[in-house]
Parts: sequence; C-alpha cells; structure tokens
Amino acid sequence: MSMKSDENLRGVPMKPYDLIREGLIILGFIAVVIIVLAIAWPPPDYPTVRGVEVATRQPVAFVKTAADILAGNASLQDYGPPYNADTANSQKLLGIAPITWFGVRQPLDPSTDFVLTPLQRVAVFNKDVGAAVAAWKAASDDSRAAWTKAYIAALDKATVANGNVQVAAGDYGPVPAMMQGMLDLGKAGLLEGALESNDRQPYALDTSRAMLFFQEDVDESVANTLDMTGGQWGITHEVGNHPGPWWLWPYAIWYQIPGLNTNPNADLIAILIMLAFFLILFFLPFIPGLNRIPLWIGFYKLVWRDWYKRPSGKGKKK
Amino acid sequence: MNLTRRLQEYTQRNMTLEDALPTRMPVYVNSVAYLFGVATLSALVMLILTGMILAIFGPNWYHVSGTGRFFNSLHFWSAQAFFGCLVLHMLTKLLLGAWRDGRWKTWMIGVLTLGVAIFAGFTGYLSATSFSSMWHAVQAKDAMNAIGVGAFFNTTNFGQVITLHVAFFPFLVVVLVAIHLAYIRHESPVRPYPLEKEEKS
Repeated sequence: MSMKSDENLRGVPMKPYDLIREGLIILGFIAVVIIVLAIAWPPPDYPTVRGVEVATRQPVAFVKTAADILAGNASLQDYGPPYNADTANSQKLLGIAPITWFGVRQPLDPSTDFVLTPLQRVAVFNKDVGAAVAAWKAASDDSRAAWTKAYIAALDKATVANGNVQVAAGDYGPVPAMMQGMLDLGKAGLLEGALESNDRQPYALDTSRAMLFFQEDVDESVANTLDMTGGQWGITHEVGNHPGPWWLWPYAIWYQIPGLNTNPNADLIAILIMLAFFLILFFLPFIPGLNRIPLWIGFYKLVWRDWYKRPSGKGKKK
Repeated sequence: MNLTRRLQEYTQRNMTLEDALPTRMPVYVNSVAYLFGVATLSALVMLILTGMILAIFGPNWYHVSGTGRFFNSLHFWSAQAFFGCLVLHMLTKLLLGAWRDGRWKTWMIGVLTLGVAIFAGFTGYLSATSFSSMWHAVQAKDAMNAIGVGAFFNTTNFGQVITLHVAFFPFLVVVLVAIHLAYIRHESPVRPYPLEKEEKS
C-alpha cells in the first residue's frame, strides 16, 4: 500500500475483498433496475409549442402575442441585459445587480426582431403586408401606440372565421394587415424560420428567438395545464407523473414561499441562497459545529455497530 | 529533470496497485452504506453508455423511433438512478464524517461533482427537444441572467445547450469522479469515530 493508506490503516484488521466482483454485481443490479424502469415507465415526450399549432388552433392567442410584442408590451422589451440596455427592471439585491455586469450579450429588440423583420420577409411575396409595414414605419409613435392599443383591446371580443381573426371595425391603421401577415406566417409553419437571426443558415443552432416568441401567455397556459409553472414546483417535475429533476427541490422551494414567490428579485434571491448552501456543504469539514453533525445524529453507531462490538476494537485511533 | 520519472515516482508513492485495485478492506467497511458510491458510479456508467448511443443517432431520434424512445428512457432512468444514489452516497458520507483525518479534499471534490452533475442534468432536460425542455429553458433563463451567468450560458440556445450536455459537463464529471476515486483509494476508508471521544463530547 501507499504511505498514506499504510498510515491510515495501521493496526486495523483487514478482510479479503474483491473490488471488481463487487463493482460488477452492483453495476448489474443497477442496470437491471434501470432497464425495468425504462421498459415500464418511458418518460413523456410532450410536443413543443410551435407557431403552426398556435396559429391554426388558437389564432387569437397567436395574434395577441404578436400584437403585444409589436406594441412593446412584451416583458423582453425592457428586460435589460443580456437582451437590451434598459436596467430599470433588472433583478438586484442590496443595490447589486449581477445581470448588468456583462452588458448586452444577446441583442434583442422584440418588436423589430419578432414582428417587423419576419413581416419584411413576408412582404417579399405579399405586397399588402409590405404596404402595411411601410405605413407602420412611416407613422408617428403616438399613432402606432393608439393603433396597437385599440387593436389589442378589440382582440378581447375577436371572433375567428375561416381560421382568421376578426375584430370589430375601428381605427387600427396597418395593424390588422400586419397581424394577418404574422398569422399566415404561422399557419404556413414558417414562423420559427423567419425569426432566426443566424446568418449561418442552414446551421441555425441558436434557437433563442423561436423559443422566446411564445414564452409568455401561450407557454404559460400550456405549462399551467401540465402543472409546470413556478408556483407548481415548475422545473422539478416532468409532464404527468414522471419524476423530473427532483434534486432541484431545495432550489424550487423558495418559489413556493409567499412573499418571495412574487418578489421581483426572486430568481436572484433563490440562486444566492442556493449558492450559500452549496458553499456551506463544500466547506462543511471546516465549519465548527456543523462538522459535528454526524456525532449529534449518531447514524455512524448503526453503520459501525460490528466494529464497536469487537472485544478489542473500541475504534480508538492508534 | 526527467518529468516522466518524477511522475512514475509520484504515482508509486501515492497509488500502489493494492490501492487502486484492493484485495483487502478494513473490517469496519461492513455495511450497505458503503455501496452507494459504487452504485452512483454504476449509474454514471449507464448514463454514459446510453448517452453515447443517443449521441450517435442525434437529438431527434427518440421522437421518431421506438428504439430511440427506449434508449431515451434508459438515459432518463439512469439520470434518476445517478442522482438517487448520489444523494444517498453524500448523505451517508456526511453522517459518517467521512472528511476526517485529512480527507477534506475528497469531500470537496465530491461536492463539486454534485454541482457540476446538476448542470449536466439540467442541460440534459434542456436538450430533450420537448415542451418540458422549451418551458424549462425560458423559465431558467431568468435565474441564469439574474446572477450574470446568462451572459455566457443561454438556456434557449439549443446549439450551446446540447454541446454543453454531450461534451463539456460529462467530461468535467468524469474527470472529477476520477480524481475523487483516486483520493478515496489513496487515503483508504475513514476510521470509525472513536467511542471514547464521542462519549466525552
């Protein structure tokens, strides 16, 4: 043995042992358990939220999402870093906002990148949409705000005819034509492709914009029906009754605490608490009091009961 | 200075063949509590094997193939088994005070492995290309952004997420586990608490 193990085991009686045999037996046991579970309970494969599905099944929700983004109502509009420079809503604690430390790393202007840019692509083969986008660009900010506000309000009483969204007559400017362009884009299954900013297509590996488009009401409503929102322990469980990453329970629990779950800085607080727990666990051997937890609980007496029963072996280190 | 000879001498001093592949064990190593580490390692072997099969056929395979779905299921339950055994392993080592007599490095590397493994599992859930992964990505980005990590780790960027899951985090986990195992075998299992000492306290 090495000097270290010789020193550590000096005077300790040894017994025969077969590392490889023990390892193979346990590996075999674990493999059988995993195979049985995999056959009996394959995990769910719940489909993604796709533009084509939302546009055809929930056209009003689709148009509402696009209109909100166009109006600047999306939470991403003033999210701050890493998407944009507006830090007014950035999470902070004691005046410290780590979110601002590295600046805008993934530039995103939702109304432009999620609506106007895709519509400009539609405009290539749909002149009505092209004219609507041109009218929108030529209008004043006040006009745009009035049109979108009126249109979004009208969506509350919208009807669907032949798969298209119908709102009551009103002064919406070019907004209805633009929204029809977005809806057509969605129905055609081209939304996600039109959102891509990657100039290395077809190697479009950054899926951020397509993932973020429906992140608010649409995704939230799907997650709610699957009991997967933050207040329902969100990430820690899977669709249905399958276990999710339950090892994140110590993190998810902070989102269940009244007051903290509605705190605008909840994410930062929860992460910092978990970081503190991790550091405590990491440095546990050196933390006075906490490093005596084993002595308080006494579990070791059960594990080493045979050792303590030995006539000559009171376990005292020689 | 011959670096190879120095490495040889260092290895001979610190890791004999009997350390690495022991045929004897202290008599106090005599409980089920000692099996959770090997069980965690076994689940990690299953995770890597099933992950390699999934990597060969690509992330969409399990959506369109029964065989793919089976291997995805194996990978899923391997992850569950890995974390289940890991939690039991850490809990028993904590309750046995396994960091004593200079074994703090082994403990710390183990805790670090847990931290890295959590991110390995997290990026796995993000790589499932399902509603779960989509929802978790848009939700988790807020936490990552809040602590500034989001500037470098974009949970909604599938290209980044899957390479982290398939290459970066598994590599880190395997390296840390190898170091952890080397320390365990180098130091030998910790002695039982002396009863006299315990009675005095």
